[in-house]
Amino acid sequence: MTTRAPLLAARGVSKAFFGNPVLRDVSIALQPGRVHALLGENGAGKSTLINLLSGALRPDSGTIEVDGRAVARMTPALARQAGVAVVQQELSLTASLSIAENIGLGAYPKRFGLVDYRELAARAKAACKLVGLDEPLSTPVGNLALGRRQMVEIAKALYRRPRVLILDEPTSSLSATETKILTDLLERLRGEGVAILYISHRLNEVMALCQHVTVLKDGTCTADRSLEGTDAAGLVRLMVGRDPGDLFPKWQPSLSPAAAISVAKFSAGLMRDVDLDIRTGEVLGIGGLVGQGQEDLLLGLYGAIPARTASATVNGVSGLPGGVPKANALGLAYVPADRKREGLHLIHPIITNMMLPAFARMPALKLRSRKAEGEKGKSLAAQLAIKGDLQRPAQALSGGNQQKVALAKWMPHDPLVLLLNDPTRGVDVETKREIYLMLRAFAAAGKAVVLLSSDTPELVHLCDRVAVVREGRIVRMLERTVLSEEAIVSAAIGAERRKVAA
Amino acid sequence: MSIIPSAKSTGALYWPVQARRNIGVRSLFLVVLAFLVAYGVLFPGLFTASGFAKFTQSWFPLALVAMAQAILMLTGGISLAIGATVSLGAVIAATTMAGPLGVAGGTAAVALAGLGIGAATGFIVVKLRLPAIVVTLAGSFIIGGAALLILPRPGGSIPAWLSDLLAGDTPAAFVLLVVIVLLWKLYLATPLGLSLYAAGENPVGAYRSGVPVDAARVAAYAISGLLSTGAGLFVAAQTGSGDPVIGTAFTLNSIAAAVLGGIGFLGGQGTMRGALAGSLLLSLMISVMFFLGFTPVAQYVAQGLIIIGAVAIPQFRKVQP
Repeated sequence: MTTRAPLLAARGVSKAFFGNPVLRDVSIALQPGRVHALLGENGAGKSTLINLLSGALRPDSGTIEVDGRAVARMTPALARQAGVAVVQQELSLTASLSIAENIGLGAYPKRFGLVDYRELAARAKAACKLVGLDEPLSTPVGNLALGRRQMVEIAKALYRRPRVLILDEPTSSLSATETKILTDLLERLRGEGVAILYISHRLNEVMALCQHVTVLKDGTCTADRSLEGTDAAGLVRLMVGRDPGDLFPKWQPSLSPAAAISVAKFSAGLMRDVDLDIRTGEVLGIGGLVGQGQEDLLLGLYGAIPARTASATVNGVSGLPGGVPKANALGLAYVPADRKREGLHLIHPIITNMMLPAFARMPALKLRSRKAEGEKGKSLAAQLAIKGDLQRPAQALSGGNQQKVALAKWMPHDPLVLLLNDPTRGVDVETKREIYLMLRAFAAAGKAVVLLSSDTPELVHLCDRVAVVREGRIVRMLERTVLSEEAIVSAAIGAERRKVAA
Repeated sequence: MSIIPSAKSTGALYWPVQARRNIGVRSLFLVVLAFLVAYGVLFPGLFTASGFAKFTQSWFPLALVAMAQAILMLTGGISLAIGATVSLGAVIAATTMAGPLGVAGGTAAVALAGLGIGAATGFIVVKLRLPAIVVTLAGSFIIGGAALLILPRPGGSIPAWLSDLLAGDTPAAFVLLVVIVLLWKLYLATPLGLSLYAAGENPVGAYRSGVPVDAARVAAYAISGLLSTGAGLFVAAQTGSGDPVIGTAFTLNSIAAAVLGGIGFLGGQGTMRGALAGSLLLSLMISVMFFLGFTPVAQYVAQGLIIIGAVAIPQFRKVQP
């Protein structure tokens, strides 16, 4: 082990958003000449930790250290001064500027107060050469494919000659060749004494490239150790596993062989050629890493985004609904993940939110009956345990109760298929439990529930089957008997092939 | 290895970058050229010294306000106060230049008013994070009111020699425009100027890269104010006096010119050369329709249809993969 002071370190940092702890007492130390892997499931706190290290956020408690000295108030400017460069997941590029102008952005070489294009070209060229970018430097970034833009982003970080390089899932949009260039480059930088923090879900990359690993789970650090002698399965075990307690209801399978929705070679958004049967009476989980196409699967089935399919049957009618009103008429209901923007109209009364789908079904010019609406609203509120005055704006409710309203608005229409996009995200434990009970009750009543979730325990303990999505395909369909967090996470990050081979 | 010989690509980056920026506006340049030819045929006097001078003088104020609007739109903002600012520039020029301040003092007053108004607007929009469209709408009432307070009815005067210099038979307007364009190129070659694009298109990314996003945006508002009052000074010189509502039409025409020139509403899209070409096209359209004997009402309708068409065509292209 090296005895030098780490170039950049976090000591016992904690961070909470709106009272919701995201990181608890986490420490990490980035040593020169070491590639340090940061692993964790969706929402484990990886991005928050990066933001703390790069000064974009400030910790609630704990300290950030540069060269062994605590920094009172880390800011992005200080981080840059300390030689910290971050390659973010979402790109920081400007499409209308050229490759060189993007690479130098914020740190242009100057001559007489003007951008020194000659110097910029020379330095940008050197950075591009490192990452194998051979497009002319004057090419606007908007003309490049996503993978090339990612390489520009990396070149931009290298242009600043970083001492600490943080890469947040740099390979997710790279081709195999580009990935190879990047891994060779990181090896070289490591040899030159750069400290590298590498975040990736591709375990084989991590195993090949990194020397040290920190694993986060639910905002706490579960491992901070050398990668030597660790196998992929062991890492997966460190990322998952939580005591479910009595959060999840006991339930009996109510699966029937009848299919509510059946599609073959279904493509929508990121999803490509998916075959899927959704049966009545089941809770079908959709798992995987964030952004692999799961949401497109739901939206495509719901007719909210264009979709293609070889054949489809939806509640006995052949063909996809192709539009939201048609989908509603066929008995489909969709509850979005972002309830503040897509699920609810926050400034309007709770009762109006509950009645919205009913409005769509009423004759356009018929007068509303406030009394009937009021009664219906009350019975819905009682059914879903939504407390308080229904005339208050929806934004007055807690996240959990908002979610219940987003669910409640579909109940009068007795949907046959419920498509739920991460319904328990940001919801308190008590409401989670109520929602879980509700979902199993729907299934028991013979409805089909599709539960897209980023919360792996919820998939394990609530679902009859779980479809794991990776890169736009369903890579595993896990039956209840083999459901486990390890199985889901392994399939999601593609570690299972190694496991089988080992 | 590389397709481009390294000596060439490292030696000259500036010009290839500039050439790339022409790609999006090539078809616009062709349209402008076609209109110029049509105009030349309809009005052969264009190619005489005085005809050219008159033509550039009729275009000049619109060119300035188009630039003023385009800068803001590049940062993702917009201004509904351009017209009122032009009026204020005109009345300040008309009330100061004949007085003790003289032409130099009056010009300085016009410039300071423009920079000050622009910087204040920018500060409110950027630092208080208020929507530009609301702030500048309110600003248009305040600035327009101030113009009426200074000069309740048309009046004041501009020294005759200045009117003759700017709006007589000299190509002074054209020369001034060339100088302004060169100054703009110089500004865009500074780190702050180039940051305009990044600050407009991807402010979060730009901030993370160390770009002074707020400063770039406030500076853009200040420059925009300066160009607007400058246009006011020129309009006052054209008429020889000040009129407190003379600028009103420039607000919407500046947006029309910028949009014709390919400046997008989302920030960071488009080029200043496009906005200038857009203002020239708008100016030419008005003249050509006038010579073709369109009634003013028909002119407005045609103008509107052409603008809608100009914005819609790129959208159609986008739909087809």
